Amino acid sequence: MRDLIKMVVVLTVICACSALVLSFANQATREQREYQVLKYVKEPSIKAVLTGYDNDPIKDRVTLKMGTDKKGKPIRKNIFPAKKGGKVIALAYGSAATGYHGLIEVMVGIDINGKITGVSIMTHTETPGLGARVVEPAFTGQFKGLVLSDALKVKKDGGKIDSVSGATFSSRGVVTAVRQALESFSKIKKEVIS
Amino acid sequence: MSVAREFTKGLWDEIPPFRLVLGLCPTLAVTTAAQNGMGMGLATTFVLLGSNVLISLLRNVIPKKVRIAAYIVVIASFVVIVELSMQAYFYPLYKVLGIFIPLIVVNCIILGRAEAFASKNKLLPSIADGLGIGLGFTLSLTFLGAVRELIGAGTLFGRYVMWESFEPLSIMVKAPGAFVCLGLILCLMNWIGAMQKRRQG
Repeated sequence: MRDLIKMVVVLTVICACSALVLSFANQATREQREYQVLKYVKEPSIKAVLTGYDNDPIKDRVTLKMGTDKKGKPIRKNIFPAKKGGKVIALAYGSAATGYHGLIEVMVGIDINGKITGVSIMTHTETPGLGARVVEPAFTGQFKGLVLSDALKVKKDGGKIDSVSGATFSSRGVVTAVRQALESFSKIKKEVIS
Repeated sequence: MSVAREFTKGLWDEIPPFRLVLGLCPTLAVTTAAQNGMGMGLATTFVLLGSNVLISLLRNVIPKKVRIAAYIVVIASFVVIVELSMQAYFYPLYKVLGIFIPLIVVNCIILGRAEAFASKNKLLPSIADGLGIGLGFTLSLTFLGAVRELIGAGTLFGRYVMWESFEPLSIMVKAPGAFVCLGLILCLMNWIGAMQKRRQG
């Protein structure tokens, strides 16, 4: 009986100590880990859509609560501001829309006047060789310089964007994601700058 | 045995992957480049040292019947610490090593040292044992990684060192290359061992 109690007590104490140490380690490294993930996953796309800044957009990121999801939890969105001499010159943030097959996530860079500085596709599951060609600069480059009042649609729907041949749905997905990003720009700009 | 002897035995006589032929899973899987092998080795050394110290200190407290469970909790805690800090400070390496960092928990070198050494010895010899075996493991993985990287890609620690017309033998950085390379090293080690024995008569 004494043996049994000793076993239970010793194991419980060891596990409790371990949990304590690990929760502390988790707390201590959380911020740095989040930064690293953003740096290695998002930085390439941020660099592709923003130019002429002298800050670290990931370090200066602003997290906004944008509406709620189906369960009523607030959706958090990371906004990456590009600054020059301490002044915000452009913002970059993610946006997503359905393509031919699943979600297409894009990073959109928009300057302070609401003009697109660049578009980069972060993740997609489009058909290789066909829909997947939306990642090519020949397609994404078309968005540069456009504003919300421009016809942000593919040519088939009466807009300005040449879709990738044979991949209208994928192209529409990208265009929709970019348009949604532009539509929320004025609201985001107000929140970030204030 | 003296403390110094406990340390040096891990570097040749009981060098883990080549002499004890333990811990082969990471040895074969992550040694595609010298740097990856070194990272894996250092992570394992940290866990080994930590678990040896704690288990040696707790050796009179832990009841015999639940010792394995207690050891695993200690080892797993150190592995999680390594994983978290690697993710926070060495993200590219963390990405390359991937699943093999959490798998350090089941690396039999670590549980083996805890069971066979730290649970029966005082703190100082246990530290020496952990450091020696860990360093031996790190050196082995770095060496294996360097050989594979050199022949398979012509680089060493990411820098190109071979002559210009060198044709990399890309099988060496793939899975079969790991087996071939490990086999040749084992053969060489045994041959050296046999030579030494013969000289001693």
